[in-house]
Amino acid sequence: MVTKTEERELNQLENQVENGGGGVWEYLCLVRKLKVRRSELVLKHGLFILNDSGKRSALGPDEWTLYEQVAIAAMDCQSLAVAQNCIKVLQKKFPESKRVGKLEALLLEAKGMWEEAEKAYSILLEDNPLDQVIHKRKVAMAKAQGKPSLAIEHLNKYLEVFMADHDAWRELAEIYVSLQMYKQAAFCYEELILSNPTLPLYHLAYAEVLYTIGGHENLIAARKYYASTIDLTGGKSTRALFGICLCGSAIAQLSRGRNKEDKDVAAPELQSLAASALEKEYKQKAPAKLSLLSSALRSMKL
Amino acid sequence: MAEDLVLDTAIRDWVLIPLSVVMVLIGILRYFVSKLMLSSPSPDAKILKEGQVIIRARNLKAGANFIPLRSFRSRRLYFSNEENGLLHVPKGQGTNPQAQMFSDPNMAMDMMKKNLSMIIPQTLTFAWVNFFFSGFVAAKIPFPLTQRFRSMLQNGIDLSTVDVSYVSSRSWYFLNLFGLRGLFSLILGDENAIDDTQRMMQMGGLGFDASKNLGAEKDGLDMIQHDWALPRFEQRAESVLRKLVK
Repeated sequence: MVTKTEERELNQLENQVENGGGGVWEYLCLVRKLKVRRSELVLKHGLFILNDSGKRSALGPDEWTLYEQVAIAAMDCQSLAVAQNCIKVLQKKFPESKRVGKLEALLLEAKGMWEEAEKAYSILLEDNPLDQVIHKRKVAMAKAQGKPSLAIEHLNKYLEVFMADHDAWRELAEIYVSLQMYKQAAFCYEELILSNPTLPLYHLAYAEVLYTIGGHENLIAARKYYASTIDLTGGKSTRALFGICLCGSAIAQLSRGRNKEDKDVAAPELQSLAASALEKEYKQKAPAKLSLLSSALRSMKL
Repeated sequence: MAEDLVLDTAIRDWVLIPLSVVMVLIGILRYFVSKLMLSSPSPDAKILKEGQVIIRARNLKAGANFIPLRSFRSRRLYFSNEENGLLHVPKGQGTNPQAQMFSDPNMAMDMMKKNLSMIIPQTLTFAWVNFFFSGFVAAKIPFPLTQRFRSMLQNGIDLSTVDVSYVSSRSWYFLNLFGLRGLFSLILGDENAIDDTQRMMQMGGLGFDASKNLGAEKDGLDMIQHDWALPRFEQRAESVLRKLVK
């Protein structure tokens, strides 16, 4: 994940570059280092450097890295001709290179020629069966073709070996959620929480999945995770505040029939506090909708 | 007997400086040669998986209190199950890293190359120093030393009355050997600032002893008591919100 200082630096460079100041090469290097996805800008400015032969030779050996970066950005923006040109140049320079082979397969994928791309990736995998990037491309292809179950299969196989890759777990969780396989998604989010226990994003996602699965225990757990999100974000997460209110009302609904022996009284005021925090935030940010909010909250207080 | 010997400035010009320059150049040469000879390591699937398993087990240990009890228990079982748990290494099969190292031809070649690339320049330089630069006092160390260092530092000088602070060029060689790391980090960039001392340390540590690590992680996991931290979070969230709402 990108840290705040890095993000600030990135935005600063971006503004500088867009407004005609210098610093294009630093911007491109930073984008490459942080692996952020700014394909349009990379394409525009990278192409500008590459087309100018003076600037190109000034780069020295980094020229080829720039070609690679621009090729990928071009494929992301669907300028396949540009990408083809870059790859041709790279192919001439590095004829038998695996890295260029990956780019070629990526181009096939971008053109939508799924079988050829599949074949190309299998050949690359034979040489190097433990290449993480290629495995991930296969998953992406399955997803793009609209075969989420195939994507899940590939991802599971990938995770059997590379089980510490939290990006992969996150992707798997999202695919499960899109397929409504919530229990499996909950498992994935647990893995994510284990890898990064203080990241509120994961707590929030886990809480939402638990809330969606439903059931008394899960609702109580969901409420706890919404609370931890609030704690980790200092009360700023509106979604978590809403989550607490909804959980509270859902729990109350469920336990209306039962006797309240085991009522979760760890934090009895949490719901009302969340409601008031919500009202305060709406007053600040969207005062027009405040009345909607108040009526919704009132209807939840069963 | 603290007489001050006056050392010829020619010694400085023709001994100390050339010796340092030569050692720096040899270091740079070695760096480039090692880059040329670098065989791309083909990662072993089994070792890679074990490494990842260990990372995941460590994460489980670290974050155990953040997930519900049932999930923690099922994961712990998955890892340390007696039959097919990930961390369980059956007693007979613990991969002996030494044997593995020597039987795997690639790794053996790599180790040999690393060792050779270190031993040969050192030996040659040392012989060169001894041949050309022995038999005279090369420098004076600014702080006093005891007599025990005499044999180490004054090797070519056969006078026992000379103060131990006056050392031969062999000690200057050793000083350079251990001290040029800073210079290399300036010249070659911070990651490549490995000089001989670190290489020697690398020679010592033989390999990734996976089986012991797995066993250690398994024990660590078995020992954990799960204490679900989330209820505490609820109260903390309450106080955060209270402060916010005020």
